[in-house]
Amino acid sequence: MSVVRRMRSFEDDIDFRKVWKVGTTISLLVLLVSLWGILGRHLNLGLDFEGGTSWDVPTDSLGVDDARDALRPAGQDGAKIQVIGRGDSRVLRVQSETDDLEVQTEVSEALADAAGVEVTDITVSTVGPSWGDQVTEKAQRAMVWFFVAITAYIAWRLEWKMAIGALASVVHDLIISVGVYAVFQIEITPATVIAFLTILGYSLYDTIVVFDRMQDNAARYGPTGKVTYTGIVNMSLNQVLMRSVNTTITALLPVIAMLVIGSFLMGAAALQEFALALTVGLLVGAFSSIFIASPVVAWIKEREPRYREIRSRVVGLRGPVLDPVGAPAGLGPEAGDPSSAPRARPVTPGQAPSLSGRPIPPRPRKKGKRR
Amino acid sequence: MIRGRLKHSGLRPLAMLVALTVGSLGGVLAAGWGPKLGLDLEGGFAVTLQPIDDASEELLDQSIEVIRSRVDALGVAEPEITRQGETIEVSLPGVTDRERARLLVGQTAELRFRPVLSSIPGSIEDLLASTSTTAAGETTTTVAGETTTTTAEGVTGQSADRAATPFQDTTTTTAPGETTTTVAGETTTTTAPSGEPGLTGFELTPREDDIADQPVVLAETDDEGEVLNTYQLGPAVATGTIVSDARAQLAPTGEWTVALEIKASEIDTFNSAGAAPCFAREPTCPQGALAIVLDSRVVMAPNIQQPSYEADQIEISGSLSESEAKDLALVLRYGSLPVALEIQQTREVSATLGEDSMRAGIVSGLVGLGLVAIYMLAVYRLLGLVAIGSLTVSAGLLWAIIAWMGETRGLALTLAGITGIIVSIGVAVDSNVVFYEHLKEEVWRGRTARSAATGSFSQSFKTIVTANMASLIGAVLLYVLTVGSVRGFALFLAIGTILDMIASYWFMRPLVMYLVKSRRFAHRPHLLGVATTGGPDQ
Repeated sequence: MSVVRRMRSFEDDIDFRKVWKVGTTISLLVLLVSLWGILGRHLNLGLDFEGGTSWDVPTDSLGVDDARDALRPAGQDGAKIQVIGRGDSRVLRVQSETDDLEVQTEVSEALADAAGVEVTDITVSTVGPSWGDQVTEKAQRAMVWFFVAITAYIAWRLEWKMAIGALASVVHDLIISVGVYAVFQIEITPATVIAFLTILGYSLYDTIVVFDRMQDNAARYGPTGKVTYTGIVNMSLNQVLMRSVNTTITALLPVIAMLVIGSFLMGAAALQEFALALTVGLLVGAFSSIFIASPVVAWIKEREPRYREIRSRVVGLRGPVLDPVGAPAGLGPEAGDPSSAPRARPVTPGQAPSLSGRPIPPRPRKKGKRR
Repeated sequence: MIRGRLKHSGLRPLAMLVALTVGSLGGVLAAGWGPKLGLDLEGGFAVTLQPIDDASEELLDQSIEVIRSRVDALGVAEPEITRQGETIEVSLPGVTDRERARLLVGQTAELRFRPVLSSIPGSIEDLLASTSTTAAGETTTTVAGETTTTTAEGVTGQSADRAATPFQDTTTTTAPGETTTTVAGETTTTTAPSGEPGLTGFELTPREDDIADQPVVLAETDDEGEVLNTYQLGPAVATGTIVSDARAQLAPTGEWTVALEIKASEIDTFNSAGAAPCFAREPTCPQGALAIVLDSRVVMAPNIQQPSYEADQIEISGSLSESEAKDLALVLRYGSLPVALEIQQTREVSATLGEDSMRAGIVSGLVGLGLVAIYMLAVYRLLGLVAIGSLTVSAGLLWAIIAWMGETRGLALTLAGITGIIVSIGVAVDSNVVFYEHLKEEVWRGRTARSAATGSFSQSFKTIVTANMASLIGAVLLYVLTVGSVRGFALFLAIGTILDMIASYWFMRPLVMYLVKSRRFAHRPHLLGVATTGGPDQ
């Protein structure tokens, strides 16, 4: 709680350079586990991707074994049967690889009979095998174009080095989200795919907000030659942290409501599929803009001659201003003054006179350079 | 960079936006329009079809028309038949008779060959009307140009006319060369007597009673649905499955014909059950004509001119135009649809399950929104109220748009669409938070909210636009490149994102500007949720 209070009151800066190492390590570990899950265990792809038929029978009594008995005459007793939801929304889901329409009708009738419901109460979904391939292929193609377009957009709107950072973090989110589904063998449905796309959207939004601030700060402090790029990144993260926390909370609230009320209390299976992926993804997405996107950009930018020079100069100074390595948190030249936190310093009138003469000039210069 | 321009009144754009929202909402409500619910929420039947081979857009559109006419027979309130690229989506909300729906939409209807028992020109109504005067009166209703016959290849060119023409003297005005006297004479004898005595019992067989082994009465219509001829037909002697291929071709005589190829394994059946009795004019096929029937409609009723045929030596000829020949070939090959369609996906959603999903979605959506509202109020106080107002305006406009699109474009709201909306709510709240945090930070640094607001907004709005554009690009790409439910998601995400930018600029900005200028709050920034813990002590 005290951390939140500190963040909220702008009293202190968090030195992200220190937590980056921890965060990135955790990220890499989770990434490895995810990749192991995806490659080693494979995805539990739902009917829509594999082809087959599924029946959702609303019933509060029919059990798995009884259902299997009912399916035997149709030769479908090998089907996958599971119970989803509870109470009024309890649904018995039967999934089979068949896409034969006659078998489908036969099974519908058998299940309706066993559950004591009308055939029309059963939701039946049949997917041809080639359709599933197409859906998968289209989704993959859309995903690739999505990445290309977003990268191009960020490169144009901000800069290409940030585009790489954003791409890295979005791919990271995607692998981990999919990885969770692979490791726990949760079934992937079209709803899950939509949820993954949503996650990418949120994560990008988060990342762009950070990057936008980074660009502003770079324009402001870059020319002073006193702040390394890593310092600028750290400063920007501090400035937008509260926003990230608040928006993650506000985005999570409806999703958790969906998960808790919609799927657990009311037992709606369709919502569960969305909400689970969203909850995982939102957390990962918020995490990655801080621990993946930003360090990647810092790392690339530090290789620019300009920032390399600043860096060697700054590190050479007695009081390392905003050096990523070994600089104590918040320790600037005016370390004794709490208000000298890098974020606050230059904007407070009169605090940084050297800056006042050049209000944000490098922006046009940078544009010129790019052309 | 967008510079926030703070006008003196400031609130005018806000008032206009609110008026627009109230106006459009009121209009939609007054018109009685509500959002159209998708299949997954309302229940019903949906099928996704795709051509087996590549098909032109035109052919797909024709298929859609055929499907639509079949669906109309089902009496579905709002059938939705759309083409997305090569895919045809048929969605029939509220359908309860699934078996029939699937037969009508999902399966290519059976092509049947039925012997003609008797025939009359025009529709039954025409005949009833005309028999009360004289039989000669109706010659105007038929078109002579449609003549067809089945002939063996060697006999091409000697085409006989269709059964109907004998009644007419239209031959004098239209291509007289088509009619050959021999066939005309034969058909007259059978048609005339059968038409009048059986008349009272004549009634077109409804589609669901069109059973293969039962005699039926069916009509032949032209493109406009005008009845050309009505036939009494015997039980089917064969179905379309015997056809292995059919091609339109231009005969050396300059005439369009259709080469029909029957499977080698089936040709004997075709000859013994169809060709032989018809050629001999046995009682089962007194007119010597074998009708090609599809979808309870007679496509053509060519005369049989040989007692038996070679499997790959059958030709249908008789003053066909190029398009008629091609259509006939398509029909023979694929059944009623101009392209062979394959069922890719069917969904039968139970109405109760759909209802449950929707109820759970609405309840959790409302609870979620309530939680967000409480959180925003707790953190941003009065600004939280602005955020709620801004969301309300977006939501109002969104509702109007959904209802309008549902009514005019048949666009249905699906569960995926609702998810898109939830995401766009998240984006909208985010926009507010970006601005308020910026403002709070400036105030904490010692500026007054009033002096900081304009600069803060232009900075924040730049961020908001950059981030929203990324969402928008993603949404548009998804809409264009994917199929099915993802499109619904993308569409509503895009709409929500655009509305968010509108609400940010014309609602959030003027209202916040107004609040920070207001004397009442100038000295109480904590009411705005800013600097609640005080700034730096300096």
